[in-house]
Amino acid sequence: MIGNDVIDIDLAKTESNWKRKGFLDKIFTFSEQLQIHHAENHELMVWSLWSRKEAAYKIFNRETTIRLYNPLQFECSEMKFSEGIYSGSVTNKGIVYFTKTEITPNSIHTIAVSDKNDFSKIYELKDRSALTKRDGIPETDTKKPVSISHHGRFERIVSL
Amino acid sequence: MNREETIEKLKGIVKPYIKNDEAFQNLTEDTDFIKDLQINSANLVDIILDVEEVFGIEIDNQSMEKMLNIKAALEIIETKTAGK
Repeated sequence: MIGNDVIDIDLAKTESNWKRKGFLDKIFTFSEQLQIHHAENHELMVWSLWSRKEAAYKIFNRETTIRLYNPLQFECSEMKFSEGIYSGSVTNKGIVYFTKTEITPNSIHTIAVSDKNDFSKIYELKDRSALTKRDGIPETDTKKPVSISHHGRFERIVSL
Repeated sequence: MNREETIEKLKGIVKPYIKNDEAFQNLTEDTDFIKDLQINSANLVDIILDVEEVFGIEIDNQSMEKMLNIKAALEIIETKTAGK
């Protein structure tokens, strides 16, 4: 399965005040807060972690059909940087999701997969025109699952 | 505080974060924060922090997990304020 999440950093700046008292404690575990503390750019780390949690939650939600709001339950590993992409994982109650995150000055985009081998299959769609929906989940004409994320100026559509 | 008063207070908290005015005008207990009001998931944290401040309660992780719609929020507020 696949899940993605894009963040428009300029919009996030106006929508959220992550420095607000209590904000980080509600959504980030101790080890994630350490990653934020040690990051060169705190804000980019906050939103990178958030986009990874969101992308992993999308897979969880699709596989279980359970909806919940428990960001602490989805814990991000540290990321490794290679060839312009940050790789990591997100763990939810022992289940591991693998993430690849692309960070530009204006946006953060994470793609999560449940099977690491699926990274090589990922492709991006330009628009929604060829998509249909099954049980609320968009899919391609060849019945491959699609994940759509939209925030501010950005929309990213990915499939396997 | 009765349920109508709690809803009014909750609506005041939620209002700055909504992206769908029509759903907000027609708000019921079944209204979903994300699906109907189209609130950004990161702003749900703000709503939870605002609810804690306004009602003087603490929303633990277990309660927060269910805070997806007005009804769940009301139930959490009522349970926590009753215990005060």
